[in-house]
Amino acid sequence: MLWLLRSAIVMTYPRTPGLPGIEDCALDEYLARFKKETGWIIWLGTITGALLFHLTPLLTVYLPLPAFLLPSKLGDLHARRVMTTRIYLLRQAVWLVKLCAGLCWGADPEVRRRFALAPLPKDPGTWRRT
Amino acid sequence: MSHVPFRARGEDVEASFDFVVVGSGAGGAAAAVTLARAGKTVAVVEAGAWREPEDYPHSTYGAMRDLMDDWGTQATVGQALWPVVQARTVGGTTVINSAICVRTPVDIFRQWEAEHGISGLETKMFASMDRLEKDLAVGPVPTASWGKSNLMAKKAEHALGWANPHPMLRYANECGGTSQCLQGCRSKKKQSMAVTYVPEVKQRGGTIFSSAPVDRIVFEGTRAVGVSGRFVHPQTTQKGGAFTLRARHAVVVAASVTHSPVLLMRSGLKLQALGKFFRAHPGFGVFGCHDEPVDMNVGTTQGWASMAFRESHGFKLETLGIPLELVASRLAGGGTLLMERLAQYRNIALWTLTTRAESIGSVHRSPFSPRPVIRYGLDKADMARARHGLVMLAKQHFAAGARSILPGIIGLPEELGPDQVKLLEEAPLDPRRYIAVLTHLFGGCVMGQTEKTSVTDGLGRVHGTQGLVVADASVIPTNLGVNPQHTIMALAQVFAEALV
Ligand SMILES: Cc1cc2nc3c(=O)[nH]c(=O)nc-3n(C[C@H](O)[C@H](O)[C@H](O)COP(=O)(O)OP(=O)(O)OC[C@H]3O[C@@H](n4cnc5c(N)ncnc54)[C@H](O)[C@@H]3O)c2cc1C
Ligand code: SF4
Repeated sequence: MLWLLRSAIVMTYPRTPGLPGIEDCALDEYLARFKKETGWIIWLGTITGALLFHLTPLLTVYLPLPAFLLPSKLGDLHARRVMTTRIYLLRQAVWLVKLCAGLCWGADPEVRRRFALAPLPKDPGTWRRT
Repeated sequence: MSHVPFRARGEDVEASFDFVVVGSGAGGAAAAVTLARAGKTVAVVEAGAWREPEDYPHSTYGAMRDLMDDWGTQATVGQALWPVVQARTVGGTTVINSAICVRTPVDIFRQWEAEHGISGLETKMFASMDRLEKDLAVGPVPTASWGKSNLMAKKAEHALGWANPHPMLRYANECGGTSQCLQGCRSKKKQSMAVTYVPEVKQRGGTIFSSAPVDRIVFEGTRAVGVSGRFVHPQTTQKGGAFTLRARHAVVVAASVTHSPVLLMRSGLKLQALGKFFRAHPGFGVFGCHDEPVDMNVGTTQGWASMAFRESHGFKLETLGIPLELVASRLAGGGTLLMERLAQYRNIALWTLTTRAESIGSVHRSPFSPRPVIRYGLDKADMARARHGLVMLAKQHFAAGARSILPGIIGLPEELGPDQVKLLEEAPLDPRRYIAVLTHLFGGCVMGQTEKTSVTDGLGRVHGTQGLVVADASVIPTNLGVNPQHTIMALAQVFAEALV
């Protein structure tokens, strides 16, 4: 299941000449943390989004193939179209994939450097115990 | 015992106080400090952990994990799945909010009186607001902290000749313009309840129970005599020891618009109006694309606002700096097109509107989880209001020199130029085509005169019970058309004064 999510994410945030893609952003470590730390409802929703991302190229690029088997140009077109599809529940489901990935991509130090933003220190994850 | 954090299984807690306050957000903390200042012994019982500013996260991921209720993933059901964002931490939503302070408009008191039979609050609430403004260092945004997006919005407002009867005031002591309000203000400039009233309650001898979600209000007959629940570990979310806290005088519920009604339902209350009359100010936004960098994340998170259209058109306009991590999910599309848009990040500014929506929803108890269920949607009139606000924002962006705008409405071109605003004016009104977020919430335990149409009386006292008061945004029976924190705190203080 994890690789399904990973590949949907990579297709949504590909590497481009101007910017690092999400593959360049310690994605595997992030996904492991996301799976461990979020509740099962959020995890299930995100995985469902990834599954739908891969099962719907017929609706976007009119090919009966899962998205991970599409040639790269068509895969890119699918990623663009599925995120703006008029089928509401599908759009909402794949949006969860985009949200999950955005939290990783936007926190990456190299990505932030490109936008003149300071790197984010590690979240302390602490609380008051006394 | 002045702070009782998570307790493991077997380490149960039992204690007695004059008052037990459930929730430490705007309403709970304001009520608790009033009771503590009157010399009463107070317990504040908060579902979330107590995090000091040094504990606040830097990233949005961390904010969702450590500060937000259910990771910020609560959403409305019914029409569109719009996120309902609230906090779950000591200080409540005041920890993650933008600290904009607006007094209750006087027309609201007239409306409460005419439509809900609620009177006698105005003078007392304004006296409370005077105090709140002193306590919480309310003031304008320092000039050095404005940031470009806020300044551009202000300039465009002048160019368009909009009147702005109420320039922005905030609960912030010399805001440093770090645009980190959503992650909690690490520099302690924002005067959230976590750094003001909650510590004051503790200093005055009160006890703060954190990581302690109340499961039930305990009744003896119709009198509320305490609360019970189990601690929940802030990291693992595993259940810990049990707590039973008795209230000699009253239990004050301030667990928010979504949690207060559900807590009352769980505790066996069967009032007809419980969970009803949920309202919100749905927030919509438009990105403006500029030739020069705008750097919306430099400057006060929300440093400019306009109330010029509150009465005439039913919305308030605001600027908003959202973190890079959230920008992608607000922009249309995926793949290389999304990356091309993201490459423009420094040159885009997000300006938003909060809609004074009249549509009514409801809050329900879920049969499967403690998560409340929120049924809500906007009718055509409200959607038309929101769309009109988006048109105004588009015009404002163009007046500020934007080359194009990104309206983010499905079915419209992803990017519109200055001569295409007409397309926005005629955009379809189907809510599912729009991206909206609910941050200002009202109702669920509304004030009123009769048990049929309300849950509490005009002082937050729950009908048919004794010793049970609701003191948060859930008692507000109308929308406000302005940011609600000031109204919520003033109401809570007036309700608490009536208890002492
Ligand atoms: C992103 C954002 C920005 C905002 N910006 C502004 C702004 O600039 N100005 C403004 O006026 N308003 C703003 N608001 C709205 C404002 O913060 C809220 O309206 C206000 O905080 C609500 O107060 P409350 O007391 O009703 O609830 P909250 O402040 O949400 O407090 C409720 C507390 O109860 C706790 N709780 C819930 N269930 C239980 C339970 N069972 N047991 C114990 N504790 C429980 C919660 O964890 C929470 O801490 C913003 C909101 C958001 C989300
Ligand atoms: S903008 Fe920064 S300094 Fe100002 S209140 Fe928000 S977090 Fe604090």
